[in-house]
Amino acid sequence: MDGRRGALRRVPFSVAQPFPSVHTIRGAARVSNEQHVLIEDVAMTYETKGGRLAALSAIDVGVRRGEFVSFIGPSGCGKSTLLRIVAGLQRPTGGRVRIDGEPPREAQRQKAIGLVFQDPCLLPWRSVSANVSLPLAVNRRPVAVATERLVERVGLAPFSDYYPHQLSGGMQQRVALARALVAAPSLLLMDEPFGALDEITRSAMRYELLRVWRAEAAERGATVLFVTHSVAEAVLLSDRVVVLTPRPGSVAAVLDIDLPRPRDEEIELDAAFLDYVRQLRALLRDRGETT
Amino acid sequence: MSLPAVGEREWSDADAALVAAGAGRRVRPWLRELAANALPAVVGMAAILGAWEAWVRLRDVKAYLVPAPSVVAERLAADPGFFTEEGLKTLEGALLGFGLGAAVAIVLATVMSQSRLLERSIFPIAILIKVTPIVAIAPLLTIWFGFGLLPKVFIAALIVFFPIMVNALIGFRSVNPSALALLESLAANRAEVFLRLRLPSSLPYLFAAFRFSIPLSVIGAVVAEWFSGDRGLGSVIYVANNNLETDTLFAAVFTLALLGVGLYLLTAAVERRVLFWHESTLDLR
Repeated sequence: MDGRRGALRRVPFSVAQPFPSVHTIRGAARVSNEQHVLIEDVAMTYETKGGRLAALSAIDVGVRRGEFVSFIGPSGCGKSTLLRIVAGLQRPTGGRVRIDGEPPREAQRQKAIGLVFQDPCLLPWRSVSANVSLPLAVNRRPVAVATERLVERVGLAPFSDYYPHQLSGGMQQRVALARALVAAPSLLLMDEPFGALDEITRSAMRYELLRVWRAEAAERGATVLFVTHSVAEAVLLSDRVVVLTPRPGSVAAVLDIDLPRPRDEEIELDAAFLDYVRQLRALLRDRGETT
Repeated sequence: MSLPAVGEREWSDADAALVAAGAGRRVRPWLRELAANALPAVVGMAAILGAWEAWVRLRDVKAYLVPAPSVVAERLAADPGFFTEEGLKTLEGALLGFGLGAAVAIVLATVMSQSRLLERSIFPIAILIKVTPIVAIAPLLTIWFGFGLLPKVFIAALIVFFPIMVNALIGFRSVNPSALALLESLAANRAEVFLRLRLPSSLPYLFAAFRFSIPLSVIGAVVAEWFSGDRGLGSVIYVANNNLETDTLFAAVFTLALLGVGLYLLTAAVERRVLFWHESTLDLR
């Protein structure tokens, strides 16, 4: 797991550009046709004292490189579990996950996964910049440039020497975002990252995410899987929204969000946007309750 | 209905003000802080000593039973070198013992934090050591290690070992699960998880243990001196007690108290330095 081997391993990713559509040209196809993440028939059943508890059943989703896909569903539908399975933190009891054709553990080893949770989970004894550089430190890769750039990218350059307890919740989550992106992962997994923030900060953070993702990751074709329970958030951010049923979670519907990018506040007043919100609400209402 | 465009700079400034306000509250002149913390303690101490002095004088209590504080102070002032020297002997044993006990405790806790199986095999032995009365094995240690420093170090180590080990183990286990998942997602190995997450996370627990086991180590050293000591405050107390030199006894006890309080304050000061990031050291949050 030394740096050199890691660098060699990464080569297929950085030169994996035979897909011209990966490049971002304003408005051009940002999403490639290449499958990046494959969730194949994934099921999760827990053995509990009260018997078997099915959390997920037969989830089948393919995500293309560079795509922004949100998972939405009622609480307890297992969307966080699904994300943990994709991250390789949990083994599914059925089916499998493939990231670039490899199991998630392999993606972990290549530092191809960036994670953001609802809890910013910054290490309180590390300064802002030290927190951001954590993935590089674990990887033993050069730290300074990428760290500095990302701290600046999320607007925290004046605070790089501050400690987490000196920051507001929104600032902490921005540090977490910078940390997730610092090792240039090809896959960004976000589990209700703005769920603990107040509505105003939350709204600002959505655009912050779009802006940072665009600047840092979209052109490399970085894929985002985003778990949320906010309909507006899912529509605003995503290329595609996967609606999950209540426990055991399964795919109830998939909604393509065909809105132009880059997106800004104006879009929230757009008729097409509101229509998607309405459709998604209806999907959640119908599939959510009846199953 | 449209939200105003929220620029990042705007946010940073608002947050900066918040941060500055937070920082301002904590930057307090340390002298004032010391006075604020120490004054109530000094006043309380003075009240007790005053009452004691008054009681002894008014009731004409015999000096060999309970000497007045002034008499004890006189005894201390008459021979400060003697008490300092014996105090340093005790301190030496206590600190070496503390170091040994803490080192063994942390190493064992590290091992146990890596496997439940090892925890199950080591923990009962640790409890066995804990429940063994120190006074029962103190004479034995004298037989094994002779008089002088070694039995002192061992007894002090035995006393501090258990609380530090238990706290270290809890600390190593008390990590933020999200942070653990994050490190896992980066394919961090066990050693890296331990050094980057478990060890720093355990520091608040470790310092809590240090704070009360440092005075304990002094008690351990004194107990050892009681049985085997030719030097140190423990043997001073022992000899003074046998000779009914109650003023010397109290002077030694007073020196011990000073030692214990000093070590405690030192640990607390180091803790504030090291755990600057922990909520226990932040006055206002």
